[in-house]
Amino acid sequence: MATARARSKLTTDQIWATAPGEKRQVGVIHIVITALLIGIGFVVGAFGSISFPLGFGVNFFWTGIAVQQVGPIWFGIWGVIAGTIFPFFSNAIAGTPFYVSAAYIPANLIQALLPAFAFRFFKADIRLNSGRDFAILIGAMVVSSALGAMWSVLVVLRSFGLLTTNSIPLFLWGWFGGNVLAGLVFNIILLKALSPVVIRSTAFVKRWLA
Amino acid sequence: MNKTLLGYVPDRSPIYAIHPFVKLFFLLVVSLFPLFIAAPEWNFGLIIFVLLLMWYSRINMGIMRIYVPVAISMASIIFLAYVILGGYHPEYAQIGQLLAIRVYWERIRDAIVVYFRILPMIVMMVFFLNTSRERDVIVAMRTLRIPFVITYVFAMALRSAGMVIEDFGIVRQAEQARGFDTHGKSLPYRLRKYVMYMIPLFALSLRRAEEFSNALIARGFAFTGPASKIKRADFILTHYHFRRLDALLTAIIGLAFVALLVLRYGFGWFTLSRSVFLPWLETLLRHR
Repeated sequence: MATARARSKLTTDQIWATAPGEKRQVGVIHIVITALLIGIGFVVGAFGSISFPLGFGVNFFWTGIAVQQVGPIWFGIWGVIAGTIFPFFSNAIAGTPFYVSAAYIPANLIQALLPAFAFRFFKADIRLNSGRDFAILIGAMVVSSALGAMWSVLVVLRSFGLLTTNSIPLFLWGWFGGNVLAGLVFNIILLKALSPVVIRSTAFVKRWLA
Repeated sequence: MNKTLLGYVPDRSPIYAIHPFVKLFFLLVVSLFPLFIAAPEWNFGLIIFVLLLMWYSRINMGIMRIYVPVAISMASIIFLAYVILGGYHPEYAQIGQLLAIRVYWERIRDAIVVYFRILPMIVMMVFFLNTSRERDVIVAMRTLRIPFVITYVFAMALRSAGMVIEDFGIVRQAEQARGFDTHGKSLPYRLRKYVMYMIPLFALSLRRAEEFSNALIARGFAFTGPASKIKRADFILTHYHFRRLDALLTAIIGLAFVALLVLRYGFGWFTLSRSVFLPWLETLLRHR
């Protein structure tokens, strides 16, 4: 109880730092959390893909971004794995061809990895206590979504011959805006509401693996 | 009835005579076919073939209704991308004008080609999701010797997706019982309030992760360390046998792909110039 109370009063530095003698290692819970995140992403992502489709897995408002970006911030590499894999399934359910979904994997990897990296590199507070934390989150969301959009539209959709040059901006903005907008709505609220709980859980990942 | 990833298939469906690996192989290989076929009539033939397989497998064809809006939205997007946003091309044959937009035959042709490349891939995915149970996917993965931990995560993810859908329903009912109702509200409002479902879903999953891991540890499961090195009995695989029919079907699918490549690149089949449908459509549009 005393430990739980102490953890809730953690400073920003203490969130990411390991205490002397604290041993962190990969456990069953990390494998389980990966699977559960894929499950949530599957459902939440499919909702976005079916409700606001632009085409070929690109959406005006992709709700799956919450799982893809908040998961890795909390659970490190396990969230990144889940965030990279689940769009494959949610897209499949929503009618995106198998190989197009597979080709999106690098974009999803970037989108999942960058916010987690930014929070760990800049030692930002996942409870979003200051303007700096917000700036890091939004900056990471914008950069990762821009890179994801460029890969998906300029590399994947163009390689599959699905777009003309003139329609590229529509899809670029669709992917980018659909992710950033949904991220602004969901990521901030999820981090604010649940981070204090996650920090206290054994599933929380301070480094990348544990 | 067997619950598959997308619907229900009768117990006596002929699809269950086939090893799950063959279904996965079919999805992976046959999904590649449309990428090498430009002539839309061949891709249309592939769609019909897969739909016939679905009918033969006794899949409730009503499930295809879910994908009608997807097919329509895909057609609209492709039409928008190719015809409306196709740009100004004096080198192309203009067949009409929509307000200030010049409509070119080549753009319509390309839109049709792309659309008929995407549709068979979608139908293939629907066929796979409709005929495969969670167990089938696990068996296919274990047959391919995919490591236990990856298969386990995959199986748990599939199972947890089902649980999340149930949780979603419970959360929604609980919130409605407390007076939360988004009926008649604007779309931005409903989107904003969607987070009211997300937070409980995440919180439930966190709690469930602890419960799952405790249950797994209590049963002696370990994914790292010496305990993970113990050879596991693949119990589920004892229920499935890779028979001659499976080997034959795998060979047919593989050979069909090789034949497709030979015909496409050796003899120029399936190309636009060999299409029967496109010249007919061109004549129809130009002389209307």
